[in-house]
Amino acid sequence: MIGSRFSLRSSRWALMLGSLLFAGLPMMRGQAACTPPDEMKARFQGKPDAAAYTDLGVWFADQKNYACATDAFATSLQLDPNQKDLAHVAFMLGVSLYFQGDAKEAIPALQEAEQLGYKDNKLHIILATALDGEHSTKEAEDEWRAALDVDPELSTALDALSSDLLLEKDFKDAIAALEVPRLLGQRTARQSLNLGAAYASTGQLEKAAAALRDGLNTTPDSAAIANQLARVLVELNRKDEAVTVLQLAVTQHPDDAEAKANLAKARDSLGLGK
Amino acid sequence: MATWIEPIVFERTSRVDCRFNGGTVFTDFRALPRGKFKPLALFTLCAGFALSLGLLAMQLRTSGLHGLLAPVYAAQDAPRTLSPISFDYPEDGSIFPPGITPPMFIWRDAAGTSWSIDITFAGGAAPIHATSKGERMHIGAIDPDTVADSNSPPKLTLQQAASWTWTPDAATWAAIQGHSVDQPATVVITGYRDGGVAFSRSQIQMTTSRDPVSAPIFYRDVPLMPSAGVNGVVSPLAPTAIHLIHWRLRDITKPESHTVLKDMPTCANCHSFSADGKTFGMDIDGPANDKGLYAVVPVQKHMTIQSKDMVHWNPTGDIGKTRVGFMSQVSPDGRYVLSTFAGPSLKLLESYYVTNFMDYRFLQVFFPTRGVLAWYDRSTGQRTPLPGADDPKYVQTDGVWSPDGKYIVFARAEARDPRPPGQGKATHALDANETQIQYDLYRVPFNDGKGGVAEPIVGASHNGMSNNFPKISPDGRWLVFVQCKNGQLMRPDSQLYILPVEGGTPRRMRANTRLMNSWHSFSPNGYWLVFSSKARSPYTQMYLTHIDADGNDSPAILIDNATAANRAVNIPEFVNIPADGIDDIQVHVADEPAIDAVPKAANGSK
Repeated sequence: MIGSRFSLRSSRWALMLGSLLFAGLPMMRGQAACTPPDEMKARFQGKPDAAAYTDLGVWFADQKNYACATDAFATSLQLDPNQKDLAHVAFMLGVSLYFQGDAKEAIPALQEAEQLGYKDNKLHIILATALDGEHSTKEAEDEWRAALDVDPELSTALDALSSDLLLEKDFKDAIAALEVPRLLGQRTARQSLNLGAAYASTGQLEKAAAALRDGLNTTPDSAAIANQLARVLVELNRKDEAVTVLQLAVTQHPDDAEAKANLAKARDSLGLGK
Repeated sequence: MATWIEPIVFERTSRVDCRFNGGTVFTDFRALPRGKFKPLALFTLCAGFALSLGLLAMQLRTSGLHGLLAPVYAAQDAPRTLSPISFDYPEDGSIFPPGITPPMFIWRDAAGTSWSIDITFAGGAAPIHATSKGERMHIGAIDPDTVADSNSPPKLTLQQAASWTWTPDAATWAAIQGHSVDQPATVVITGYRDGGVAFSRSQIQMTTSRDPVSAPIFYRDVPLMPSAGVNGVVSPLAPTAIHLIHWRLRDITKPESHTVLKDMPTCANCHSFSADGKTFGMDIDGPANDKGLYAVVPVQKHMTIQSKDMVHWNPTGDIGKTRVGFMSQVSPDGRYVLSTFAGPSLKLLESYYVTNFMDYRFLQVFFPTRGVLAWYDRSTGQRTPLPGADDPKYVQTDGVWSPDGKYIVFARAEARDPRPPGQGKATHALDANETQIQYDLYRVPFNDGKGGVAEPIVGASHNGMSNNFPKISPDGRWLVFVQCKNGQLMRPDSQLYILPVEGGTPRRMRANTRLMNSWHSFSPNGYWLVFSSKARSPYTQMYLTHIDADGNDSPAILIDNATAANRAVNIPEFVNIPADGIDDIQVHVADEPAIDAVPKAANGSK
């Protein structure tokens, strides 16, 4: 525990921050690299306060020096665990860790920020992405849903949520997430693929074909949709339609080996030859 | 130079395309008896067409009759099943009002690179054929005055960016409309590629109604420019931008709307016309942001609102207190105004949940949590609570008159604190931190102002949803209302429902679009309903749906070009006047002290 408001739920997170805190202040990784800029040096004379470290972290983050930003935000939290902008600083710490490439450590920091009441959709998006990266699919789903609650038009969130649901073989929820009125005709290629897959996995092949067809009409250059649609059409014994879909795909993507192979198979099954 | 001729037959649409010189396709459309394709006759037909075009030197693409047969049957016996096109607008089963301006047909097609549009008529009229190389959708004109850091320029959705369009010219559209009355027209779009080979196809049916709209639509045309003021307090529109709000009148047979009021120095909100079209009412803010004023004036070609026309809901001068009228409605005969008022001890923020966001798409949540219905008598200047809808235990709001003025339908819920202690701040529309309220629709007799017992309307009450914004059809048979999860007004999930006015099983209307459906209004003849939606853009647009004698409605028809692409259509309302019945409205009240139109004896809400 750092303080009364900033609690540490994750032992891994506690260890990480602890190692930073007890390394001594100023705890800059690579002193030279983490030197404050000239315009801020005056604030680090004597006994700098938490706000100075927060500002320094923001400056490093602006420079995309996330390692130093991480140190600065962590120091700020240690100096004043009850500071007014605690949630925001925790969020910035988590973001710095994430962009530093340390998703494992970013997750507890971001979760802490969330618990502290930080409200910004970026929090949900980054946390969900980090959780997906760590294969914590269920937890990621919650964050994607939270992001969609804030902005239902956020297609990246729905792309990822529906992909996570498919990974979990939760086809029913995947369909529910993708078959909402506000998405009518507005699905991304990923969403069309996922909806098609969810329907196909539950034996609803006609609906799968319809979803994929609509998706292909929105993104005609998607070889993935064309291939999946063709497979569904073959399942439905509509091989001639599959041939048409694949012929177009091969025309548009002459190097797509899957489309070519599928086309050959479909033609063969129709007795059309190569 | 020799001209190659290649007739191509399309059985389903009984059409022949005459293709000349390979790359150039001229099309001719002739009704052919089904199943009787005589190659020589087809060649003659196309040759005649070529002659008429001055293509004198001709030769067959392939020599001899046998050569002619191959391309003729190539189309009908093509070794492929045509891929379905996604036909996005108009939807199958659409009903257009007579005289409406030509719509833009919209489709998505992964296969075609050019398209034919074939329209056939059940009545046997000559079919119409057009071709399209495919025009993309584009964003309409922008109003530079309403571009702001707090909004984004309109942009095409993924679907719209992938869409192809065709808009018939006025003469073609008139012909389509003329031949599709009563019996539907079938519109077939066929996609071609690879030099004219058909690859894709879809069709819809559409009808032109015999029922005219017969009345213009009055609406508010607003910028979406939320503004963060001092201390970060967000308002839907900065005071400096209020003058950008316009009020406009739209005749759907005309390509543009007519602005009747603009450059208002003060804010004006909900408006209401009497059913006879003779009286107009509108909330207008007075000096010092006094929200307690209501203008009632006769409808004329040239209208002027002056201080003498103002009803002062707040005669004691307690600015911002209690006397805010909400969703005021002028009675069918224009004599009364029905509105929602909170108790005298309550400030505005003790009776309304109000939260504004910087997200211009859904920038405000606003609904009453306390209040009673009261009626104002223009002939006596008295305002009186309506028994049956005046219980302070409830919030009673959204009151609307029956066409005969004999009863009121309104929304009711248990009264509550708009911001209970400890409640978090909502940061976006439909945030779980919004104060939760689900309204039920009730009906109460007006009874010359004496009211009566309020009865819940079965099908629009106690269903776990928020039932609100009722509107009664002019024949008194139907009730159309909004259903959403929480609150009312500008809800992303709002859907329109229709049910018999005495209650029953509600039916979700077919016209509902994918995003926000509300602010509806019946045409005076009852056949049409106008409503607002964000289906195509965050900048709200208005749509029409036809309602038949059995209450069945048709897919939504967009009213094109109602405002700039970066402005929103707000509160559309049919007005029972001729299309050009209002030319302009002048307002001369903002800088003058409001007149207390309410006698002291009538102060308060009892």
